[in-house]
Amino acid sequence: MDGAELRRFAEALMSSISTSAVKRGAKVIGHIKAYIEHQEGFLHAHTVGEAGDITVDGREGGPVGRFRLVVNSIIFGLTVEAVKEATDEAIRKTSTLFGLVLEPTSLSRE
Amino acid sequence: MAGWLGSGKTTLIIALSKGLSQKGVKVAILVNEIGAIPVDGRVIQDYGLTVKDIGGGCICCQLAGSMMRTLRLLREGPNPDFVILEPTGIAVPHAIKEMLISAAPSGEITLGPTIVLFDTTRATKLLGYETLQRVVTTQLRDADIIALSKSDAVEEEALAGTAESVRVINPRAQIIRLSVTNGDGMAALTRVVEDMTVTV
Repeated sequence: MDGAELRRFAEALMSSISTSAVKRGAKVIGHIKAYIEHQEGFLHAHTVGEAGDITVDGREGGPVGRFRLVVNSIIFGLTVEAVKEATDEAIRKTSTLFGLVLEPTSLSRE
Repeated sequence: MAGWLGSGKTTLIIALSKGLSQKGVKVAILVNEIGAIPVDGRVIQDYGLTVKDIGGGCICCQLAGSMMRTLRLLREGPNPDFVILEPTGIAVPHAIKEMLISAAPSGEITLGPTIVLFDTTRATKLLGYETLQRVVTTQLRDADIIALSKSDAVEEEALAGTAESVRVINPRAQIIRLSVTNGDGMAALTRVVEDMTVTV
C-alpha cells in the first residue's frame, strides 16, 4: 500500500465510522480520530461527522506493508457497546475494501 | 486551551508551539484525552514537540494529583517557559483553574489566559443543540480569549453573526478570528499568550 492509498484508507475509515454510528442512532458525532503509525511515518485522521470535514495529516512515507491503527470514537446518543460495534464494523468493512488483513492486538474500550 | 470536540485545539497547539519554539520559547504540552489510548499526544509528539499525556479520567475532577506531578516533572526536566494544557473537548476551564489553584502552593504556577476555541463551521449545532449547548456555553463563559476557529471556511456574514452570538455569551472575552490554515489570528494569539499571565 503506498502513502496515497493509506491516506484514502484513513479518510474512508473516518467516513465509515461516522456512517455506521449514525445508522445506529447517534445523535451527535463528537469526534472520531485515528492514528496510523508505521516504519515510514505516521498519519492522523479526524472528523466531527459533518459533510466534507474529514482531515488527514502526517507523513505517510513510502510503501507500507504493516501499520498500527488506533481509533478513538466519541459519539453521543449511543451506548458504549454500540459505539464499539459501529467502530469495529467500520474498521472491518474499510479494511476489506482496501484488501487489508486485521491483526487485533489489544482492544481497550471506555 | 479548551473547546468542544473537534474545534481544532490540537492543530492550533501544534502551530502555536512551533511558532513560540522558533522564537526561542520552550513549550511543553499537557494533553488530557478521552480514550484508553491517546491519539492527540502522539500526533503532537510526532511534530517534535514536548508532550505529556494525562489519561485515565478528567483532569478537572479526577486527576489533580497526576497533573501536578506531571507539571513538577516538567519543571525538573525540560523546564519549559510555557505549558499549554489541552483538556478533553468536554472539559470546562473554570474547573481546571480551580483545581490548579487549590492544588498548587501560592506562586508555584503562573496561569496564562484561558483560550477557548469555537468551531465556526458548526456554530448553529453547538449553540442550538441542547445536548451540546450547556457545555459549550460554559466553556465560552470561562474564556479570556475566544478563538473563532476555522474562520476561513465560513462566509463573512455568518462569521460576524457567530462573533456577535459569542460576544453575548461572554462580553468580557477578547474575540479573535482564527484560521490555522491561512494563518489569520495566529500572530495576535501568540502575542496574547506571551503577554497575559497571572500568578496564583
